[in-house]
Amino acid sequence: MLYANFWRRNLGFAKLAIASNIEYRLNFLVDALVQPCLSSVVEVVLWISIFAGAGMTLIGGFPVESYISYALWATFMGRISSSWMYEFRMIEEIDSGSINSLIVRPMSFYEYYLSQLMGYKFITTAVSLVVPLVLFQIFNLPFHLDRLPICLILVFYYLILVHSLSFIVASLAFYLNRAHSFTAAKNLGLWLLSGELFPLDLLPEPFKTLFSYLPFSSGVYVPTAYITGRIGQEAVIQGFISVTGGLIVANLIGWALWKQAMKNYSGTGA
Amino acid sequence: MNYVIETKDLGRSYETYKKPEGLMNSIKGFWNRQTIRKSALKGVNLQIRPGQIVGLVGANGAGKTTLLKILSGLIMPTEGSAHVLGTVPSERDYHFLSRISILLGQKNQLWWDISPIDSYALLAKIYNLDPDKARARVYELAKKLQCDHVLETQLRRLSLGERMKMEIIGALLHEPEVMFLDEPTIGLDIVAQSTIREFLADYVKNKGPTIILTSHYMDDIAKLADQLLLISHGEIVYNGTVNAFSQKASQVQTLQFRLDKNLEKAIPLKSGQQIEAGHREYQVQVVNEEVPWLIAELTKESQLQDLKLIEADFEDVIRQFLEKESRVR
Repeated sequence: MLYANFWRRNLGFAKLAIASNIEYRLNFLVDALVQPCLSSVVEVVLWISIFAGAGMTLIGGFPVESYISYALWATFMGRISSSWMYEFRMIEEIDSGSINSLIVRPMSFYEYYLSQLMGYKFITTAVSLVVPLVLFQIFNLPFHLDRLPICLILVFYYLILVHSLSFIVASLAFYLNRAHSFTAAKNLGLWLLSGELFPLDLLPEPFKTLFSYLPFSSGVYVPTAYITGRIGQEAVIQGFISVTGGLIVANLIGWALWKQAMKNYSGTGA
Repeated sequence: MNYVIETKDLGRSYETYKKPEGLMNSIKGFWNRQTIRKSALKGVNLQIRPGQIVGLVGANGAGKTTLLKILSGLIMPTEGSAHVLGTVPSERDYHFLSRISILLGQKNQLWWDISPIDSYALLAKIYNLDPDKARARVYELAKKLQCDHVLETQLRRLSLGERMKMEIIGALLHEPEVMFLDEPTIGLDIVAQSTIREFLADYVKNKGPTIILTSHYMDDIAKLADQLLLISHGEIVYNGTVNAFSQKASQVQTLQFRLDKNLEKAIPLKSGQQIEAGHREYQVQVVNEEVPWLIAELTKESQLQDLKLIEADFEDVIRQFLEKESRVR
């Protein structure tokens, strides 16, 4: 019964995120379609320029098509696996005191935002997916369509870790008046560690091995490299394991920060 | 006896830091901050029975909202203990949270980007209510509050009064046993205030929840509350019935009069104040038994042309209390 209620309300939060976002139609279309298109163009131009500038046909053993293919999927995966918007909202809720109306209800702040994040990502993924699929058809780029479902599952699983990190950053807002700077710093770190900036297999050892074993590589590098044929299935399994480890660590830290914060919380703004 | 709300030596203090003026002090404060400990609530002992409506009155910063926040589980006390419905509120047990409701009049608690009807559907899921029954209840409450025509309008597009009515429906949807209402009529026009007041009075009569209500409008307290708590500097300074307080209030009257000529000599009153000489028109506050004596004093050398006795009402006395508190601060 309690379990059913848990799913019922969390499905409600996910629907809330979808309803709130599609309420502003233009904003939603820009976010789900225009931005992915522009990012894809930038990535394609960047890799073509790199190859042209270097005067090489292979970099790290892969041709330009492979990099364009990687860049397009990495852009797509990177957009799914980031959560700055909800992280900002969480920080704002704590800063402004509007969190008060959430914590006096029979639900948790963590689940409320996680379900909203999932709902929002679900709808934007469904729409944004059109961009790489169309571009791959047009330019006839190499990728394995049959690997897409498991890659999406891994990215959505990783998204829970991303949310847990957001929860940690947001919890800092109880201690510091402005925690937004942590979001920017964390996102920069994830941009590099996830492999969104460039494929992690271009890194020299020991960074290559170290970064690919960290859970963050499961956000972009592992699913992108798998779908474009750069790595095998064992890396995906490894990805699930490392994300699980990351989830345990992040949630332990988040839980401790939250518990301590609640002890000192003064119910700002009400 | 079973109490719904019980507190023992309840207290809460905050730590904040000094922010002296100027850029240099801001730079100094970057590595050397002076913290200050401020006590918002001290030694509060309460015992509230089921079904009581308690009016909590005090000046700004007296500790009213802090008390509500502790009792609703929003914040933890730093001293003493609180029990609401037999539970420690700060544990935020889901069963406890589904039996209470807190309405913060200055804050939106419904969702800004969606319509109230969608917000209520979500609240029904959060509180595990039957969706059909919840919807029927929403329409019933909205009809009573005369706002059913805006249920499907995005919350951000509603007027303040309409929003407050929506917030009240949201707070009552799960039929809470204990309600904390913090300024439910703040900023509303007289019509909206009285609609909400009548609605709450009717709701209390039918459902009998325990309510702690704070308001700057004494009409809210006088018409809804049966118990009065006056809070000052974080301490409860009066805890009794509203009737007893009103009786106490009626011992003071305002005497308004006009003389045929300027008063020649000042007249000292029992309260320590005095009626200054040199004027013809006066309005003074006197205790009941002093009135005949004062009239006799005035008519010794002058003739009274107009005399009016105005009984001090509940609001006047509360206002005097709050004014006194503000001066002490």
